[in-house]
Amino acid sequence: MSTPSPETLERGVRVLNRYGIHARPAALLVKAAAGFPDTDIFIRKGDFAVNAKSIMGLLTLEGHHGLDLVLSASGPRAAEALDALETLFRNKFHEE
Amino acid sequence: MPALVWKPEYPAITVADFFREGQRSLSLSWEANEESASRNPIREIAPNRPGLALAGFTKYFASRRIQVLGLAEMNYLRSLSHRQCIRVLAGLVRAKSTIPAVVLARGRHLPAYVRSFVEATRVPVLRTPLVTGEFVTAATVLMERMTAPRIRVAGTMLEIKGVGVLLEGAPGIGKSEIALALIERGHSLVADDTTLLRRTGPDEITGEAVEITKSYMEIRGIGLISVPSLFGIGALRDHMHLDLIIHMQRPQDGDDDLDRTGLDSKTRDVLGVKIPLITVPVAAGRDLTHVVEVAALNQRLRATGYDAATALDERLMHRLSAPEPDKR
Repeated sequence: MSTPSPETLERGVRVLNRYGIHARPAALLVKAAAGFPDTDIFIRKGDFAVNAKSIMGLLTLEGHHGLDLVLSASGPRAAEALDALETLFRNKFHEE
Repeated sequence: MPALVWKPEYPAITVADFFREGQRSLSLSWEANEESASRNPIREIAPNRPGLALAGFTKYFASRRIQVLGLAEMNYLRSLSHRQCIRVLAGLVRAKSTIPAVVLARGRHLPAYVRSFVEATRVPVLRTPLVTGEFVTAATVLMERMTAPRIRVAGTMLEIKGVGVLLEGAPGIGKSEIALALIERGHSLVADDTTLLRRTGPDEITGEAVEITKSYMEIRGIGLISVPSLFGIGALRDHMHLDLIIHMQRPQDGDDDLDRTGLDSKTRDVLGVKIPLITVPVAAGRDLTHVVEVAALNQRLRATGYDAATALDERLMHRLSAPEPDKR
């Protein structure tokens, strides 16, 4: 188990699109996260977290409409990475 | 390092959970007070036969357990007068008010004369057609499973010739690709990417897929695939005991650590159970399919008591400590 490094940034987001984090939004999140290869990015739901670079992991979140999640990032471009992912949540994954 | 940020869960269950999960397998139905079921936690899982408590000895009454009334208990209650019967039941409920539920075995019903009393106690009452012994065994197994400590981990799990193997490593390192190659070689997928591990015994961890993504994989460049549709249902395994963790890492980060002999076996603590762990470097172009397969078989060999590294080392030490004269 690795303890989160001190420079871990966190930010709360809410699932705003009607169908939640289904396959397409998960793919968008993974693509955005993969743009930060040296940054560890996780999405946390309650007690468990998934790697934002894993589609299957994101799908297991069962991120339905209205759910609150926490983004966390550590690494050289952590803040930028959080901005990129948060934008996707805010824009409802370009679905509506 | 793998970033395992999951926390173990220790599920608590209520009578309503027990009913939902056991409705089919235990053929449960409601006899009374269904509405209390979701309020009543089951704090101890082995069901209790309250014979002694019914006879009046309530000192060590296991009141936090489901109480089963079988043939003996029901006939005892029937042997009493109506008033005595209610007094005995009242003693039980008064002695300890923490009884989660009562189960009537052999498909019995509550006698009509206790019904209004039982309804007033609000203790949920269920029925099962099973005989008491069968019910106690099956209900214990079911509740053990429901309350087993569990944790979700980032890793792909496979069954390789009877060995449960969890592949872990950073995203993109190729876990799913290796899993795919192993499936094509006849092994089975348990879970892709995210595996739910449960402690199913003092020394046993069982892995399975998270329900929503079960039987699917993601392969870079192809996308989501359905494993049983492509490879047949034999390529999928519902759950599997975990025997080995294989940690895949890129060559640069800390290769000095690698075990080159297999003598220093490492383990990882998973929910209190020590699981053998090996670390395999992933260099470009290295076919890990066979490495993973051999690691699994080697683990099986070790489990039978034969450790190749130790055996060779013993042979070496024997030879070196008693050198034969040089014949050449």
